[in-house]
Amino acid sequence: MEILVLIITGILGSTLTYFLSTEKKQGPVRSSALLSLTIALFFYFFPHFLSAYLSSNIPVVFIGASFIGMVSSTQLSSYVGLSLAGILFTLIYLNTSRFFDGFGGSLGTSACIAILVILSIPYLRSRRNRTVGFLQLRRLVFRTQRQN
Amino acid sequence: MYFSEDFYINPIYLVENSLFLSYFCRMKQKVYFRTAIIILLFVIQVLFLFAIFRENTDSYLTLAFISSLSILLLYANQKAKLHHKEIEFESVSMILWVMIGTFTTYFLNQKLNLGAILAVSLTGLLASFIPNIKQESSYLKQLPPAIYCGAFVGMSGARVANDLYFVLTAAFFTGVLLVVSKSLLRGVGGRLGTLAFSGVFMTYILIYLLK
Repeated sequence: MEILVLIITGILGSTLTYFLSTEKKQGPVRSSALLSLTIALFFYFFPHFLSAYLSSNIPVVFIGASFIGMVSSTQLSSYVGLSLAGILFTLIYLNTSRFFDGFGGSLGTSACIAILVILSIPYLRSRRNRTVGFLQLRRLVFRTQRQN
Repeated sequence: MYFSEDFYINPIYLVENSLFLSYFCRMKQKVYFRTAIIILLFVIQVLFLFAIFRENTDSYLTLAFISSLSILLLYANQKAKLHHKEIEFESVSMILWVMIGTFTTYFLNQKLNLGAILAVSLTGLLASFIPNIKQESSYLKQLPPAIYCGAFVGMSGARVANDLYFVLTAAFFTGVLLVVSKSLLRGVGGRLGTLAFSGVFMTYILIYLLK
């Protein structure tokens, strides 16, 4: 159950940041910092609102996932892709080696890995960032479907 | 390739040719440099992933998961147009701004005990308002990402960053990476974090080797 809550946090972190950054034009840094600050302040003042495990991990997962939402719309513009990246980020975060505990930037590295993995799937990439090969393949598939 | 005799004898042709050659060599050096940075970032990401396996050596599922992620990372680096072909550099002064971001976060996190998340988000939020001082300034617009990048270095816990010298050295390395990697991973979320992690990791290795 706690893992499910963290996965939902990951999805919300990435999609809300992207929404604020791109749709509301607040810029990636302000969107990520503002949303993370809100979550961090909430758990700073109400540490017993949820279990100790969730209170300590939700702000961390949220800020990590918010780095995914800092992506440019020219690279990734679908909310499905952002949500999948949020889920993948949470899974990497939950398994991160204890050796890297306390290493600054480890959340950003996990976020970067998650987003690069999602960007390796051509269908989820932003239209402007799709390769010619993928577009030709898509055209071929749709033409075949239309003929049938 | 055949050139007329004038090309070899005429000094103007010779000067033009040598200038072209030196430009070509510089371009080639830049391309090698760019490739080296891409490989460095990729290797650090793969090391980060394989450290997970180090703690779960008996789980084949984890190994399969990490291997698939590594292959997809390699594929994304090859196919997803992550890096600009033009080789650009940030202003060298960005190193200083990265260090300012690191110092602020380190102070808020470890001296005022606000916690890493509160410290980094406060620093980032304040930095995001810097361009509002002068809307038309393109220099000020570059500062929030640099400061936020530095803030990630300042998030380092006391176990790794036990003193200010460590974080400032890591911030310096991160700043250098930020300056030289302007055209890499453009618009990819987590880029600043990866650079910060690389800076911290390089400092950690350096200190380990020196000891």
